[in-house]
Amino acid sequence: MSEPLLHVDGLRVSFGARGNEREVVRNVDLRIERGEVVGLVGESGSGKSLTALAIMQLLPTGARASHGRILFDGVDLLRLPRRAINERRGRDIAMIFQDPLIALNPTIPIGRQIYDCIRTHADLGHRPTLMRVEELLALVGIAHPRERTRAYAHELSGGMRQRVMTALAIACGPKLLIADEPTTALDVTVQAQIMTMLDRIRNELGLAVLFISHNLDLVAEICDRTFVMYAGSVVESGPVETLFAAPKHPYTRQLLRCIPRLDWATGPMPTIPGLPPRFGELPPGCAFAPRCDAADARCGAETPPVWREPGHMAVCWRAA
Amino acid sequence: MTRLVSRFRWLVASCGGPAGFSGACVIALLLVMALGAPLLAPHDPLQVSIVDQLEEPGEGHWLGTDQTGRDVLSRILWGSRASLTVSALAVVIGLAGGVPIGLIAGFFRGGWLEQAIMRTLEAISAIPILIWAIALVGIVGVKDVQLGPLTITNETKLLVMLGLLYIPTLARLTYTSALSESQANYVAARRLQGVSGMRIMFSDVLPNCLSPVIVQATLLLAIGIIIEAAISFVGLGVQPPTPSWGNMLASARDYLLSGEWWLSVFPGAAISITVIGFNLLGDGLRDRLDPRHIASEAGR
Amino acid sequence: MLSLALRRTAFSLFSLLIVSLVLFVLTRSIPDSPARIVLGDQATDQQIVQFDRDHGLDRPILVQYVNWLRRLTLRADLGNSFTTGRDMNQQIADTLPVTMEIVAIAFVAATLLSVMLGTLSALYRDSPIDYLARLIAVLGVSVPGFWLALVLILFFAVDRDWFPPGGVVPFSEDPAQHLLSIVLPCLCLGSFYLAVLTRMTRSSLLEVLGLDYMRTARASGLHPARVLTYALRNALVPVVTIGGVSFGHMFGWALIIEQIFNIDGMSRALLTAIQQRDYSMVQAVVMMFTLVFVGANLIADLINGWLNPRLAAAA
Repeated sequence: MSEPLLHVDGLRVSFGARGNEREVVRNVDLRIERGEVVGLVGESGSGKSLTALAIMQLLPTGARASHGRILFDGVDLLRLPRRAINERRGRDIAMIFQDPLIALNPTIPIGRQIYDCIRTHADLGHRPTLMRVEELLALVGIAHPRERTRAYAHELSGGMRQRVMTALAIACGPKLLIADEPTTALDVTVQAQIMTMLDRIRNELGLAVLFISHNLDLVAEICDRTFVMYAGSVVESGPVETLFAAPKHPYTRQLLRCIPRLDWATGPMPTIPGLPPRFGELPPGCAFAPRCDAADARCGAETPPVWREPGHMAVCWRAA
Repeated sequence: MTRLVSRFRWLVASCGGPAGFSGACVIALLLVMALGAPLLAPHDPLQVSIVDQLEEPGEGHWLGTDQTGRDVLSRILWGSRASLTVSALAVVIGLAGGVPIGLIAGFFRGGWLEQAIMRTLEAISAIPILIWAIALVGIVGVKDVQLGPLTITNETKLLVMLGLLYIPTLARLTYTSALSESQANYVAARRLQGVSGMRIMFSDVLPNCLSPVIVQATLLLAIGIIIEAAISFVGLGVQPPTPSWGNMLASARDYLLSGEWWLSVFPGAAISITVIGFNLLGDGLRDRLDPRHIASEAGR
Repeated sequence: MLSLALRRTAFSLFSLLIVSLVLFVLTRSIPDSPARIVLGDQATDQQIVQFDRDHGLDRPILVQYVNWLRRLTLRADLGNSFTTGRDMNQQIADTLPVTMEIVAIAFVAATLLSVMLGTLSALYRDSPIDYLARLIAVLGVSVPGFWLALVLILFFAVDRDWFPPGGVVPFSEDPAQHLLSIVLPCLCLGSFYLAVLTRMTRSSLLEVLGLDYMRTARASGLHPARVLTYALRNALVPVVTIGGVSFGHMFGWALIIEQIFNIDGMSRALLTAIQQRDYSMVQAVVMMFTLVFVGANLIADLINGWLNPRLAAAA
């Protein structure tokens, strides 16, 4: 099998000073092939955003990738010097963020921000770069791209800002696009448009996408495979159809049950009882055990093993 | 013993930390100096003595004497009164005038009148206080004024003027707070309870506006000391022979180049230390009282 | 942007108007009328009336004010002083450039230095340069400029002969000596604002660096220098505002510093006028100061409108 584009191997991310650390990403393994769309699903606080930020080496102050490897095209990003990382950012891996209003610089026209990104990684010359900026804006579905290059972030609607951010991200033709909850801050109708746009971009440019969300519907729409995270570690992963039809991990199963459906009778909506554990206060055994509807005594005492089938894995005692 | 320690800890914490606490200590010292000057000063600050002119710091005169033989240490102790009085009373006037204006304007929203008043206050506070003070004192004159049985010294004129000049700043500060507080839900809730506007304003809104006002007042105390010193320095403040740190510096100017360094260094040091004290306390209080500041510090 | 400029200009003019009105009314209301000052205590009532009529002081205050305003705006003429009879435009023209030079140099130096220090301080937190910058900030804010002046004069001019203790040698006479003679005054004038602006730059930049759009900039792989530019365009906004205010304040403190260093600037014009009870001159000088402050604030607001278009849009 050829080398995957991205291979996250045993990643651990922790906060805090040495000796007083709390692990928020615990031993995560991810694999993304070229051109694949992979989902990363989990509740708030499950560590999915931090995993993505670790890949980009953009962890917030106080957080540290303490363990593991992040192999991109065979190169371990965690061992690279700062300048080498900066070269790859934007050019090989790019990221779009959740809230496009605060993620775009308010004092610089959006066209300029894209222009600067292109100029950093490629020397096309002034005019060709300007034209490329317009092409990109058209590609992400913005009408009248030439006029829009002079616009500021606050002059655009939420959906347009997200398109601009996507244009900024794909400007240099990256191989991997990480989309961290790109539609969460948008209206449902706009959400649909953005998802369509992302799908189209992916098809036209052939790039791989790591799509992070807590919304299973969206993941089902666009992803080929999905990883499910809970309390900082991956609890299940596999092709989207398999996962949705026959989930092996109780968390995935309970999550799926919570998705509202039109054919439900009235009555209380299903939820997963309880709250995710606080970091540093993880229970022994399986982290999900306290909230799991299929847990037994062993689940709360011993760390569950990894159950595997080709292309499908789950970390659960009851998976078999 | 442990009770004392925990009381001490509480005291330090309410000043906003060790820096704020040191500031508070400096100010406490200043108060002691000012109030206790009659008892603490070794000599009469107005006592002239031809024999002791321009003596270097040493025995008998720990900080030296000035050109008319007056003891510098005693003048500094007595001078603290002028500085403290002007500074403190000016702030009191500013608060007494500024807070009600700002509160009423921000809470009751007087339409165009409110806008007019606030804009005018903004225009006046666009000019630095020092210039206003010099101009006003310059125009009104430095001589004492008789108002019936009362003699109004220049010192009094100065503190009244400063107080009036502080009003715009304090009014605008209170106004901004009162404006945002009056939109808050708890105010609407109180209105629904049938509580009168005035009561809500005084008992609910006012306490919440006070934090930035207290911080600003502390900083204005520091500014007052500097302005009093500067104005006395150019001869428009406390008139000699009454000692003030500013006019001591003014007379020290003539002796700057001839080597009598103690005439300028000590009064200036007194001013600097006092100002540092007020600034430290003000910063400490801001850390403690201003939630936005706390939040932004934590965010880093 | 245009609407911002118009609104701010209108407000500036309003400020000037208010200040001039207050000053005018004050100077015309004091018991010591110019007539009495010029003619002395022995003047007869008839002489006073004649004086007032000659100088247009017998008209109602509002009429006087309008005339004065008209003269000032249409011909930029402050007129002649009532008490000394001299042309006030000339007096100000003689002294304003001196003060302006010292303030301008102090301001530019303080601003450049503080932005540099503040930026380095924010980028390299808790490094030696950060501690140095913060130390300068605390000292600068607490040590009053005029005491610093006295200490520096004692130290440099009396004990050592590095800088002259006072007086400014005109540039045309001796450029080198001129520059030497303004070093100490500019230093004392700028120390406070250096501290304030350094602190402001530091905290503003620290805040901006933590914001989401900086993360996007880094995610795009931009060079560190460009990332800094992206940050500064946002972080400098409060610094520009305070800078504008600082310029005006510095102009005021120049009065005191000039007195210490025996410099013939606006301070001499003002204090002499006060001494001679030349109220019309006092009014004229204060109006000049007001013009400078309001102008500096206006320029700062316009720069900010250019730096941060969202501000301009909100205006």
